[in-house]
Amino acid sequence: MSGKAKNANGDGVTSVLVVGVGGQGVIMVSKVLATLCQEHGLEVKQSEVHGMAKRGGAVFSHVRFGRQVHSPVIPAGEADVLVALEWAEGLRWLHYLNPETGVFISDVRKIIPPFACRDRGRGVMPHYARSTPRDVLEKVSVGYAMDATDTAARLGNERAANTVLLGIMSTTLPFSENAWLETIERFVPPKTREVNRAAFLAGREWVKDATVPQGEVLPQVEVDPALPQARNVWDINPAWCKGCDICVKFCPERCLKLDAEGKAVMVKPELCTGCRLCEMLCPDFAIRLSKEIPEKVSS
Amino acid sequence: MSTLQNIQGNAACAAGAIAAGCRFYAGYPITPSSEIAEQMAARLPKVGGTFIQMEDELGSMAATVGASLGGVKAMTATSGPGFSLKQENLGYAAMTETPCVIVNVMRGGPSTGLPTRPAQADIMQARWGTHGDHPIIVLAPHTVREIFEETIRAFNLAEALRVPVVVLYDETIGHLVETVDLTPPQPEDIVTRTFASGPAEDYLPYAAGEDMIPAFPRPGDGYRTHTTGLTHDERGFPTQDPQKVDAFMKRLLGKLERHAKMIEKTESVEVDDAQVLIVTMGTPARAAKTAIRQLRDEGIRAGLLRPVTLWPFPEAALRAAAKGKRAVLVPEMNAGQLILEVQRVLGGAAPVSGLNVFNGEPIAPQQIAQAVKELVK
Amino acid sequence: MNEIKVTSADEFDIRDWLRTDLMPHFMCPGCGHGIALRALLWACHELGIGKDRLAVVSGIGCSGRTGAYIDANTFHTTHGRPLAFATGLKLARPDLTVIVISGDGDSLAIGGNHLIHACRRNLDMTLVLLNNEVYGMTGGQVSPTTSAERFTTTTPAGNMEPVFDACKLAEGAGASFVGREATLQTPALKDLFKAAIAHKGFSLTEVISDCTEIFGRKNALGSSPEMVLKQKKVMIPAHTDNRVPEPFKPHPFETGVFVRQERPEYGEVYEALRARVREKGK
Repeated sequence: MSGKAKNANGDGVTSVLVVGVGGQGVIMVSKVLATLCQEHGLEVKQSEVHGMAKRGGAVFSHVRFGRQVHSPVIPAGEADVLVALEWAEGLRWLHYLNPETGVFISDVRKIIPPFACRDRGRGVMPHYARSTPRDVLEKVSVGYAMDATDTAARLGNERAANTVLLGIMSTTLPFSENAWLETIERFVPPKTREVNRAAFLAGREWVKDATVPQGEVLPQVEVDPALPQARNVWDINPAWCKGCDICVKFCPERCLKLDAEGKAVMVKPELCTGCRLCEMLCPDFAIRLSKEIPEKVSS
Repeated sequence: MSTLQNIQGNAACAAGAIAAGCRFYAGYPITPSSEIAEQMAARLPKVGGTFIQMEDELGSMAATVGASLGGVKAMTATSGPGFSLKQENLGYAAMTETPCVIVNVMRGGPSTGLPTRPAQADIMQARWGTHGDHPIIVLAPHTVREIFEETIRAFNLAEALRVPVVVLYDETIGHLVETVDLTPPQPEDIVTRTFASGPAEDYLPYAAGEDMIPAFPRPGDGYRTHTTGLTHDERGFPTQDPQKVDAFMKRLLGKLERHAKMIEKTESVEVDDAQVLIVTMGTPARAAKTAIRQLRDEGIRAGLLRPVTLWPFPEAALRAAAKGKRAVLVPEMNAGQLILEVQRVLGGAAPVSGLNVFNGEPIAPQQIAQAVKELVK
Repeated sequence: MNEIKVTSADEFDIRDWLRTDLMPHFMCPGCGHGIALRALLWACHELGIGKDRLAVVSGIGCSGRTGAYIDANTFHTTHGRPLAFATGLKLARPDLTVIVISGDGDSLAIGGNHLIHACRRNLDMTLVLLNNEVYGMTGGQVSPTTSAERFTTTTPAGNMEPVFDACKLAEGAGASFVGREATLQTPALKDLFKAAIAHKGFSLTEVISDCTEIFGRKNALGSSPEMVLKQKKVMIPAHTDNRVPEPFKPHPFETGVFVRQERPEYGEVYEALRARVREKGK
């Protein structure tokens, strides 16, 4: 079945690292876990940083529990579970995961800040890593990557994505389903109790279907790399373009150029990563980027 | 059902507004019109309407126009200094053809002037207060009952012609209590603007038919139009094309002339055989009626022409009334504003003289009688 | 099983929200207002607001004219008064989603009084305050948010007046939602708009926008891309330790959501009053 947190460093302390960006509910996930631990008589230390707590800023939270916990901070390479509410954040913290036994749980949704594409030389990979779930899952002991946001959206509220991942995480820890549900209920707004309950159970259910033998790579990774298969399609409207040069200068790949008439044109289509920076920063609405993706990638 | 009651002019104004279907009022306290706001604050929630006291006069006029743009009949009231501030958005209402009613209870000016004393010095401001050529209707009641009626008529005209309408009366009538019958009008006597209907495709919000009044696109009905104080074309978008500007302005300014019959209203008292014609409005018209009776008792034949619709000015009615008269007297509580229009219209057809009182006191019947006697000497 | 769905940015096509027959718009090359407008419409798209029920009220100036490009019920009102117009409109038509687009001059100078009272009153609408530090439409005069020592046509020797911090002003006046974001952070700006529009009550969202053609040139701030890029240098995400050094100097400026609180919404309060009055009348 599912992967279990291992306490690999043998000190009886389990370390869970929850990461994401502002507004996703990192703190909620860690609070539920910490409360649950406390109520099971375990000593628990939770250390969080929500330095850029506005929406989109990086947030992480360390939760460590056991019979006796001294340090509140997880050393690199020692996290037993890494829960990433945002794909890139998961990658950013990957080195904290215990390479032998760690369980990696992540939403595959990307929240790309424009800054991710700044200060980059030509041809250099964008700061927003292009690692596919396959790449990642090959590196970790146990990995779960799913579109939790979509699952939550289907249940009625995409903001419950964190609870879907919490559901997955719950299968790696030794607490009962009921104990989880009761604790979650206390931390979510009354109006969203139902959707959070459904989200939690959906996460747990998804793991069952995943049928992952411990320590092995998820078989489902084959279906993951849809994004690289996507073809970027641009539509640049010269009648609307005023040649302000913003798209040209901001494009991390330098794909664009102003032509003789001062209109933006795509000159290096093969380099376009589809980051949308040009579209988002075009004051004239002259650029439209869309992605052609293979229909549904099924397992 | 008779509804006789003792009621103040300002309260009758509020009653008239509610009867006319007004469901939004935005105001700001100012003497001597505050009672209208107080009345509306109490009455509107009872009929499902909204009252709001805004942060200033500018805002109250803006909110009034904003509510009307939402498709709801709206009104505001004020007095001299506030009327000056309201001119900005009154012009916007004229430009965007937004129906609304503005009550100005006149007090002594200029500036803060005589807040508690009557005057009629806003006659010209009511016509030309906001910048630029613009259409406007000004109604000038002279009794409490007439305030009620004219407030209803103000809404009817505003809604029918998509134009701001000013109800203009002085402090004396505003604070006057009379026993009047405020029987509400029959539903068929209440006018509500025509809302746009039909396909939203290729819809032109400012394209008008023969009546020169475009139907009003109510937000939410699917037309998604643009409303702007900039000179606009039939689509509602800004234009500087001289031909389009010309066509727009001609319709904007011409629509009142087109509907002059609906707008015009005067009262004539013993005009036919009169030697002297008195032209006045508001409180002085009440004094003039008394003076006419006194004068006729003494064998002097005077008559009164009272513009109930002050603007557009009843030119034809004045010309007809003044025909063959020895003299025309214009009593007014200002330094001479109505007289300018009377002189202009008559163009020397009859000698016109004024009786001007601007000391904060109403004009007495004796003063008018005396002036008429001087004229027939 | 592992499903990948490309972000909803793909479903958002701004052309669905524009009066395309009016395009290209009047704004200068590189004007930040266009970026802000995209973020606003993106937010409306994600919130699923119907265009027929969307009312956009704007004032005068460059900010005021952006509204006309939105395919919704748009009202281009008088200078400084859009909040007052919107107050009337929203009270008369609570069924409409009302968004007010205004500029730094429009809402902090000539319309300052309406702004503070809108904050206090807490009627459910969203103010998009496009702050580009200058009166652009009239040729580049000093505004209440022009930074110290900046050159404008009416401060030929540099601006000597302290500036307004719109967010602090709104917070002080009691606004129940206050936030600020820069156009450079388009997705974050979109999220700010989303949160503000979804918030029940009055929301002020200040957008750090760039007047590249007039203000930028006058102060040698570089090309359009350079100006946009500079936003990052002066931007401090909220709740870090890097506090704004002087209260009247918003540069560097904080970004983020500063106030989000539940307060009685004016329209609901008034509806309760109506119910009370009707009950008494029975």
